[in-house]
Amino acid sequence: MQGFPDRGGTPDLAQLQSTMHAIELACTSIQMHMNPAAAEATILSLSQSRQPYQACKFILENSQVANARFQAASAIRDAAIREWGYLTSDDKINLISFCLGFVMQHANSPEGYVQAKVSSVAAQLLKRGWLDFTTAEKEAFFNQVNQAVSGIHGVDVQYTGINFLESLVSEFSLSTSSAMGLPREFHEECRKSLEMNYLKTFYCWARDAALSVTNRITESDSAIPEVKACTAALRLMVQILNWDFVCNSSGGATSTSIFQVGGRQASDSPKRSECNLVQPGPAWRDILVTSGHIGWLLNLYSALRQKFSCEGYWLDCPIAVSARKLIVQFCSLTGTIFPSDNAQMHEHHLLQLLSGIIQWIDPPDAVSKAIESGKSESEMLDGCRTLLSIATVATPSIFDQLLKSIRPFGTLTLLSTLMGEVVKILMTNNSEEEAWSWEARDILLDAWTALLVPLDRNGGNELLLPEGKNAAANLFALIVEAELKAAAASAFKDDADSDYLQASISAMDERLSSYALIGRAAIDATIPLLSRLFSERFTRLNQGRGIVDLTETLEELYSLLLITGHVIADEGEGETPLVPNAVQTHFSYVVEADKHPVIILFSSIIRFSEQSLDPEMRQSVFSPRLMEALTCFQLLHTLVRQKHICLHIVALDSWHDLANAFANEKSLLLLNTAHQRSLAQTLVRSASGIRNSESANQYVRDLMGHMARYLVELSSKSDFKVVAQRPDIILSVSCLLERLRGASSASEPRTQKAIYELGFSVMNPVLVLLEVYKHESAVIYLLLKFVVAWVDGQISYLEAQETAVVVNFCMSLLQLYSSHNIGKISLSLSSSLLSEAKTEKYKDLRALLQLLSNLCSKDLVDFSSESIDTQGTNISQVVYFGLHIVTPLISLDLLKYPKLCYDYFSLLSHMLEVYPETVAQLDSESFCRVVASLDFGLHHQDTEIIDMCLRSLRALASYHYGETRAGKAGLGSHATGVTDPSGNLQEGIFSRFLHSLLQLLLFEDYSPDLVSSAADALLPLMLCEQGVYQRLANELIERQSIPALKSRLVNALQSLTGTNQLSTTLDRKNYQIFRKNLNKFLIDVRGFLRTM
Amino acid sequence: MSDDDHHFESKADAGASKTFPQQAGTIRKNGYIVIKGRPCKVVEVSTSKTGKHGHAKCHFVAIDVFTAKKLEDIVPSSHNCDVPHVNRTDYQLIDISEDGFVSLLTDSGNTKDDLKLPTDENLLTQIKEGFAEGKDLVVSVMSAMGEEQICALKDIGPKN
Repeated sequence: MQGFPDRGGTPDLAQLQSTMHAIELACTSIQMHMNPAAAEATILSLSQSRQPYQACKFILENSQVANARFQAASAIRDAAIREWGYLTSDDKINLISFCLGFVMQHANSPEGYVQAKVSSVAAQLLKRGWLDFTTAEKEAFFNQVNQAVSGIHGVDVQYTGINFLESLVSEFSLSTSSAMGLPREFHEECRKSLEMNYLKTFYCWARDAALSVTNRITESDSAIPEVKACTAALRLMVQILNWDFVCNSSGGATSTSIFQVGGRQASDSPKRSECNLVQPGPAWRDILVTSGHIGWLLNLYSALRQKFSCEGYWLDCPIAVSARKLIVQFCSLTGTIFPSDNAQMHEHHLLQLLSGIIQWIDPPDAVSKAIESGKSESEMLDGCRTLLSIATVATPSIFDQLLKSIRPFGTLTLLSTLMGEVVKILMTNNSEEEAWSWEARDILLDAWTALLVPLDRNGGNELLLPEGKNAAANLFALIVEAELKAAAASAFKDDADSDYLQASISAMDERLSSYALIGRAAIDATIPLLSRLFSERFTRLNQGRGIVDLTETLEELYSLLLITGHVIADEGEGETPLVPNAVQTHFSYVVEADKHPVIILFSSIIRFSEQSLDPEMRQSVFSPRLMEALTCFQLLHTLVRQKHICLHIVALDSWHDLANAFANEKSLLLLNTAHQRSLAQTLVRSASGIRNSESANQYVRDLMGHMARYLVELSSKSDFKVVAQRPDIILSVSCLLERLRGASSASEPRTQKAIYELGFSVMNPVLVLLEVYKHESAVIYLLLKFVVAWVDGQISYLEAQETAVVVNFCMSLLQLYSSHNIGKISLSLSSSLLSEAKTEKYKDLRALLQLLSNLCSKDLVDFSSESIDTQGTNISQVVYFGLHIVTPLISLDLLKYPKLCYDYFSLLSHMLEVYPETVAQLDSESFCRVVASLDFGLHHQDTEIIDMCLRSLRALASYHYGETRAGKAGLGSHATGVTDPSGNLQEGIFSRFLHSLLQLLLFEDYSPDLVSSAADALLPLMLCEQGVYQRLANELIERQSIPALKSRLVNALQSLTGTNQLSTTLDRKNYQIFRKNLNKFLIDVRGFLRTM
Repeated sequence: MSDDDHHFESKADAGASKTFPQQAGTIRKNGYIVIKGRPCKVVEVSTSKTGKHGHAKCHFVAIDVFTAKKLEDIVPSSHNCDVPHVNRTDYQLIDISEDGFVSLLTDSGNTKDDLKLPTDENLLTQIKEGFAEGKDLVVSVMSAMGEEQICALKDIGPKN
């Protein structure tokens, strides 16, 4: 496809028309799916040609094809953003006023999307020039907009004006702004400037526009054109209040106020529904709070409510939705907009809103009945959102008091009855699909969470008054009832939905912890309730044994256990949970331990688990998997995390029985492999409770020694190769490997010795297994994971001689693995088995990389008594050697797995950054692999990977530069380039990467975040290869044919290296200067270089 | 393994002795299982929710290792399943005939000529070319329940 001629001069009419036809043709053929690639190329060539503005304007004004107009607008945007650097300021202003004028003139056009596009082009261009335009220039635009918004040119123009402001505000807001190839600072500056100087004005314009049409809307009985303008105005107000206000104190940009009034939103509180706080600062007080604005809004909505029966209005009509949204946002208003010495103002504000919305949700039973019989639920949901917003900005007591002035009960009671209704609905029709009651429940739960989550870690929450407590207790009882009913109902459901169940487990966990908060708020009532329910079911279980089907009761018990667990303990991920404050402080009056309600509850649960150990009971009642998997192991696993509990545990007979059974009984081999591992880990970890280090080690030896011996014997059998493939042998080998892995991961300084011996004794068997099971990928993976865990736990404690042994072992392992797998192609017919094989490879390689990283850590953390150098071990050489073995196994296809790619590059860049000197000693084959990897990484789409490569380059280049300046060799022949056997000169690493980095920076797409790290890599590269840099720069200049652009480029290149006293040292200050220079350079030249 | 042995084992009823019983609950993903008399590799196991009816059931999705057909089965976790004895043997590749049959060198120094390379044209040409270039190729043959197939190929460097 040929490009359109450049529009440097004034084109004639015929030319313009032919361009228009070409674009129209392309647009229609895209719609008809005729040769879309060519059509897209035509359109693209318009936006890429130089100065296409005349043609675009012509199309916008004359084309009858709406799509062509759309594309023309888009071309204006692309071309202008690209050429902005050398457009004259008249050109710029012209383009913006053309776009603005165009939308105003065509305000009644039916093609809304063209209008919206042109409007957003105007907004983007205005932003692009925001920091260059004078105030007068901006004022001229805004006068035009203000006139439009005020409505003097009619409703359509008014609507268009408001729409323009909407695109402008979203363009200036950081999260919605479009990319312009400029640094983040630019967007930040624009944002700040708009917030300081214009945002409030825009809000007032929108408010006035809405006010001006309010009367006409309330007085008419059917939908009138003004409704559209009013809706747009409301939407703009919502959008402005959504702004992320920073300058919210009159003085300037401070954000301390978030900790004053609005501090209830703890950053780690579990949040499902969105509730953004609106914190515009004191400057907004007059228009938002004290001007009667809210009264107007509430009146408008109640007027709309009356009209829902009229034609053109309904509960979900756009204007009603926008009005409700705005009301919800007003409830989230907080921060310094309310004076800190006048708490009444905020309370009054909330009360006014609450009285406005109360009929949306009160009385709850009537509201829910109406929805069940067909009314739209959106108003009720918005009502719930209002409660959530108020709960987020107010303390529990203020929240509760609000309603008391207009109703005989408090807000908490309302919240409780409302949620009670929702739970009842959920109970009666617990259907699978998302119903409104689900959403309402989630929002209301969030409101409870916002109220009840403790403010800080050590201080308790303020206590609720008796009425509030009552409300919470009633609600909790209802919730438990609903959950039990659901559990019982699920007992006989088939398992078709097990996938769905898995996915919803974390959601359920979150929900349960919110329930627990409600339960804890009324802990006096909750604990006895749970105890009663639990013992009722427990009795039923004992009585009904063998007589009736107990599946339902078991399900109920399971569900009850989950709820109870959440109420009495916080979930501590990986940490040891403390007793929650509510539980600790509440029952302090109970002195006797056995009357303590919590203890009563606990002991009944423990009695329940004891039952599971009774074989007869287990046979008849319990599902073995329920008890073993859920109760025992998870319980044990948590127990051994605390040292003082370990002390008691290891003294128990039953613990020794368990350990004994684990070591000797075959039946435990039937457990799921994950449980094998966790059981081994649990048992080994409990050794920390044995006071004497010698006996702790002996305990581990007794526990695990048997298994290690079994592996040794098995692998030394003469017929092992034959029997190894038997499924039962594979199963027991897998189990043993899982157990060894579990034991290794529980390694602690005290038991380190025994675990080292354990691993040491199976080193040879491991290599034998690796050989024998080379086709059995599942076993290989377990084996690798065991070695990874073992090395991870041991490496930092090993003495020099032991380190040498482990390192040699790891290298043999790597080599053996590589010899089995390199160059191997799977020939399976099944595509899913092929992809399975690929996934297995990926997992193996990740494990190998982890192994290398673990070895690497020896240089960082080392507790041994002498340096490992005494045995001649050099960790960096070892790891480079390992990488040399592993790298050929990693194919480009495998690097598509993000985790593997990340692991590989982080290990590689770590090595290059920390040990650049070892690179100099690499042979050319290994070195080529490093270079190829970096080259691949530099063109990866993941920013983090590119960043790691850039850091590696910086490290290598600055090392080399420093060394050569000191008269040493640096990277030697790797840097200068070598002539390979066939006589071709291989380029040196630095000149090669200088070239590709410049290419990337100037001509390719990348994230602006990378510019700083690219600068850090580019500077030392340029210093290493100054001659090459000069040559590349000259080539760039030569390629430029237009004189004006050529001189721009020359100047830019000069100031890249010549301004701000850039020197030839590599210190922090110099890096900083260069970053600044490069940023400016790219802004100057990238726009026009990329299109040539 | 002599040819006589092989002949004996591929009799129709000999398949049973080529399997081992194993509890369904202990069969994992990537393990093997016999479904409808075919040796399969398990690609997915789901176990029904614990606590239901006392017994969990395992749902296996598996792929026939020879025909690549997908098969499914549901077994109570405490019942025994048949697990095929899957063996893999490496042979050096001596020759490839026009019709895709290969000649392999056994440990005892004899040749084994009854196996065919996969039908995928692309792969076949690649292998033939590699072989023609003089690469030293090792072929892994998978055997289970009396059937055999070439399952993998490895390049162990240029021929000396």
